[in-house]
Amino acid sequence: MMNNLIGLIRAIKFQCVSSLENYPRFTQIVVIPLIILGCASLTNAIILLLCGYNPVTAYTAAAGYSLCSIRGLSETLVKTTPFLMTGLSVGIAFRCGIWNIGAEGQFLIGALTATWFGTRIAYMIPHTPWLGVPLCLCIAGLAGGVWGVIPAILKVTRGVNEVISTIMLNYVAIHLVGLMIEGGPLQESSKIGSQSDSIVKWVSLPRFIEGNRLHPGIVISIILAIVLTFVLFRTTFGYQLRAVGEGADAAKAAGISVMQNTIRVFFISGALAGLGGAIELTALADELTKSFSPGYGYTAIAVALMAKLHPLGTIATALLFGALSVGSFAMEGEIGISGKITWMMQAIILLYVIGYSSARLFNKQPSKQ
Amino acid sequence: MTTETDTVLELKNVTKTFGNLAAVDSVNFDLKAGEIHAILGENGAGKSTLMNLIYGLYQPSDGNIYISGKIKQLKSPRDAIANGIGMVHQHFMLIENLTVAENIVLSTSQFSSSDILPKLDASITDSKSNEYHKPIKLSKFRYKKNEAVNLTEAHSNRFGLSVDPNALVRTLSVGAKQRVEILKALAVDAQILILDEPTAVLSPNEVDDFFQILRALQNDGRSIIFITHKMDEVLEISDRITVLSRGKKVYNGRTGELTAQQLAREMLGEEIPQVKREQNEASNDLVLSISNLTVKGIRKEIAVADVSLNTYRGEIVGIAGVDGNGQRELAESIMGLLPITSGTIDILGNQPKGTNNIRHCSVGFIPEDRRTMGIINTFTVAENLMLNKPYLDNVSKWGVIDQKTKTEVVTKLIDTYDIRPPSSEIPASSLSGGNQQKVVVARELSPQPDLLIAVNPTRGLDINAAQFVHQNLLKQRNRKKSVLIISTELDEVLLMSDRLFVMSRGKLINATKLRDNIEALGLLMTGETFHDE
Repeated sequence: MMNNLIGLIRAIKFQCVSSLENYPRFTQIVVIPLIILGCASLTNAIILLLCGYNPVTAYTAAAGYSLCSIRGLSETLVKTTPFLMTGLSVGIAFRCGIWNIGAEGQFLIGALTATWFGTRIAYMIPHTPWLGVPLCLCIAGLAGGVWGVIPAILKVTRGVNEVISTIMLNYVAIHLVGLMIEGGPLQESSKIGSQSDSIVKWVSLPRFIEGNRLHPGIVISIILAIVLTFVLFRTTFGYQLRAVGEGADAAKAAGISVMQNTIRVFFISGALAGLGGAIELTALADELTKSFSPGYGYTAIAVALMAKLHPLGTIATALLFGALSVGSFAMEGEIGISGKITWMMQAIILLYVIGYSSARLFNKQPSKQ
Repeated sequence: MTTETDTVLELKNVTKTFGNLAAVDSVNFDLKAGEIHAILGENGAGKSTLMNLIYGLYQPSDGNIYISGKIKQLKSPRDAIANGIGMVHQHFMLIENLTVAENIVLSTSQFSSSDILPKLDASITDSKSNEYHKPIKLSKFRYKKNEAVNLTEAHSNRFGLSVDPNALVRTLSVGAKQRVEILKALAVDAQILILDEPTAVLSPNEVDDFFQILRALQNDGRSIIFITHKMDEVLEISDRITVLSRGKKVYNGRTGELTAQQLAREMLGEEIPQVKREQNEASNDLVLSISNLTVKGIRKEIAVADVSLNTYRGEIVGIAGVDGNGQRELAESIMGLLPITSGTIDILGNQPKGTNNIRHCSVGFIPEDRRTMGIINTFTVAENLMLNKPYLDNVSKWGVIDQKTKTEVVTKLIDTYDIRPPSSEIPASSLSGGNQQKVVVARELSPQPDLLIAVNPTRGLDINAAQFVHQNLLKQRNRKKSVLIISTELDEVLLMSDRLFVMSRGKLINATKLRDNIEALGLLMTGETFHDE
């Protein structure tokens, strides 16, 4: 069963990465995604019609809010941040041949660590955001990385498949969060609600404008995407990571350590997701609850695959997913379309994304001599 | 049923070309009922291609295949099986987690009952034994375990192929797995069995049992095509022998007509390559020193057995041998890719541990398996040209790859080694095999390593490219570097090496004195001992 799952993921990765190589770059990056979005929108329009809504007004409401209003646009960017961080996490792992399905758990561990730091430790350091925020984010990123290294060690020493171990560790992380905030040491001081205390002010990520939720997280994550691109494609460090991922035997014969680089990838991947969780917590949530992540770490797989596992592409796909979820909110709020339907619509878009590369329709003409 | 002279399979002028290369070149071949027909040939002589043509995996570019006198087009193994042809591949095609009976039923269930089962029933009820009187109908929809077990037992008793039908395949020994493979072919009533190097995986005792099975099948009127490198086995078991060389049939006759020596000569060809270069002055500067090396292969069998070898500066040492005699393991253990069971490997006086450290001792490596060990398919040509740790360090500063240096180095390599198409930014997978090999050779040769381990360095290259590589290997020698060539092509080893060894069954035999004695070399390579009179 597990082998099937791994096979499926490999097949999807292969499809997304290789099957469209024959097309000019512009077609690959712009035209095909637009066609996919168009098809998905059409399908969704049918669903909306069947449910008795006017798709045109629904789409106008969604697009109008998420893309054309200041508030909606900033909200889109806010939503983009966790998708981008977890998308980068999954993307780098998959690119380097590591099937890390554990971004969700690493995201939560980052948030948990930030909560612990922000509610229990931060009193001990100078009360300034210039120290508190970076320190908090770094520690949370480190914790996410360490959490990510657990499956790495299991893999290189015991041969445990990382798909299994990372999925299992997601549950461990989810319940660890529950344990900590329900009667555990991080529960709020009155010990009534199942949530943590609010983090102190000097570790929370400041916002750009009062009254608008937009925060520097989007900037941090875009910078990270650019740095990652540079590291992966322009440094020997990234070269070795990729070499191990794309051809372990050849890398080994070249004198590149497979074990070392596997651990590195897991750490980086976990740290990115952990940092994402910490940013989300310190910028928006202030306190940790059980519903902190609506499955960012899982959606991240689609975000990364749609971007063909390229960090820069991930910026675009994360933005798309951010806009989609904000647009769904708008449809819910303004037209009263049930949240269940908007979730379904998002899932349909995902199916198109995964299916597009295998569509024979596009595979007919092999261009480029 | 059939008389001895019946021709069950005949190939007339069959040719198979890949690009410009004729892998099988107008070959005539015939197989009689109840005959064991051995096919001998070097690596790349066209044996496997010929068998794949018969088994429907390839279709002939020219010529026809006749089965029982009728012309047939075998479009797939399915067609071949339906025409009574079965094949036992060198690498078993079994499902490890199913039982023996399940594996066997799996192969029969691929065919509709009208195709195979009537024949199957007939073949079972024909026979005198009472055990399998009841015709076995296998449901298309339901797997009936008892019937599958009965069917398996019936066949295994009939030919003395003892296997436990209820055993999981993964628990079986290699010999037993092979028997299951044969049973699979018999379960669909194969009258012609193709056995691709069946004894390569067997121990000597298992080989004896295996030969008994072959004789039982032969007595049953079935015909067997037996592919092998091993001369003694050919002489022991076969009725007729066909020798292939470079895609052409060079000999066909009854076993015993030619001696082992004569067969070896046929196999290797008449022309002895000309060694035109001057003898170089031997140097005493030790580069690689292997002593009493023993290495275990993937199946934990002893692949390299107590091998000792020294290479010196300014010489090329050649190791000839048929595939799978431990050459790969020897090369990989020198490169630190396989753990050493016992013995030592010294490189320039050090005993570096790990491939990275070995590479940093100025060692180059052209691996046998280009596709998995030499090249990363998804990487660009430029990236592949840097796939060598010390090399990578050269083109980078502070860990950042210097794009300008990289482009310069890569452009020069592509130009010098004539890699086509001359583009550094296309994925290596879009290159032809020969050009991929050039990428590997360029990368490993251009740093001018003190020691170069080259396994089949010219495999897949055309004559000009091969000559270019050979010239560069000679240049390495003239630069006072040490080169170790391990090749399955005797010509290449003879042409290049100053000292010559033959590797056979994990042992290294010094054959420098036998340079001009092709027959003796051929015998050594096929596992015979050679006694100098």
